[in-house]
Amino acid sequence: MLHLLMRLRAVLALLAGLCVVPGALAQDLPTFQLLIRNARFEPATIEVPANTKFRLLIKNEGPGAEEFESVELRKEKVLAPGASSFLIFQPLKPGLYKFFGDFHPETAQGQIVAK
Amino acid sequence: MGSTVFVIWRESVEAMLVVGLLHSWLKFNDPGGAGKRSLALGVLLGLGLAGGLGWAMVAAQSELSGQALEWFQVAMLLVAAALMVQMVFWMRRHGAAMRQSLHHNLAQAAERSGRLGIAVVAALAIAREGSEAAVFLYGASLEPGAGGSLTLGAALGVAIAALTAWLLSRGLRFLDYRRFFLISGWMLLLFALALLVSAVDRLIGAGLLPALVDPVWNSAWLLDDGHGLGSVLAAMVGYRARPSLTLLLVFAVYAATVLRAMRTARRHA
Repeated sequence: MLHLLMRLRAVLALLAGLCVVPGALAQDLPTFQLLIRNARFEPATIEVPANTKFRLLIKNEGPGAEEFESVELRKEKVLAPGASSFLIFQPLKPGLYKFFGDFHPETAQGQIVAK
Repeated sequence: MGSTVFVIWRESVEAMLVVGLLHSWLKFNDPGGAGKRSLALGVLLGLGLAGGLGWAMVAAQSELSGQALEWFQVAMLLVAAALMVQMVFWMRRHGAAMRQSLHHNLAQAAERSGRLGIAVVAALAIAREGSEAAVFLYGASLEPGAGGSLTLGAALGVAIAALTAWLLSRGLRFLDYRRFFLISGWMLLLFALALLVSAVDRLIGAGLLPALVDPVWNSAWLLDDGHGLGSVLAAMVGYRARPSLTLLLVFAVYAATVLRAMRTARRHA
């Protein structure tokens, strides 16, 4: 049993290793923060440099779960209450890109402005 | 409570439609009842998977596990799309194969793999949507003052989704069999297209596929894919208001392949 668990851990470590390359690159990217609180985004508008790859750190302070979603930005991420996660964005052309919280679309609305 | 009902409806209606259409189809094509048992097994498996995947979404907090989960979800979209298409064509061939008692063994083997296909397609549909519903409910249950209204809202959402699927597959059954078969087949092929579009978009978003020209057009003024009808169509049939050239190419290949295979299947039927 222990043997099996160790083998499982080795497989998981290997799988994690396969994913580490984009993760390691991500360390050097310009990073922006987004907070989800009471079914709203803070800040509701995020300014990012245009034509630059960047990273968005999202933290959901709850109380509910939320799904960060933008069809336009091709992103979809479910966050449980208390969870933090990140999304890597490919370079954006200058412009305004909307995103919303799929679990609370009436209140959770935001936008990324690429300049 | 209204939003709970809507979110749960939206997160379960597609899976219910898939199960409803398969169940209707089995009513005509499953004399022994083995297919219906496979479907039931698929539903149970899907519910279990949805719970597991929901747990993984809550637990995947680190960057590494988040990334691994992302790849897993893309892979699941692609596999689900491929299996859905394969199943529709298996269903089309099914009638013809059953009539040829000469190739009885062959037909039996095809039967078994077809039933397996039905179970897996149902399981994947439920797992994908159910996991998000599970995380939503988990989060909502932590909100102060949840409890009764939450349970009621979730139950209502599931009930209305089931009613939607039942009405549709029931309504379709009033048509003659050929037409029911044709419409439900095309619906499943559209669902598969939405899965494929979603996977391609995620791969472009992750920088693994080039977008080529992005966007080719912008029809958001006509129908926005971000909310209302547009977002339902985006999730169910793969509508995009700002499609990239890559996406249009994938769509063209999918449409050409499916149309050709449908024509061939018709000739053999």
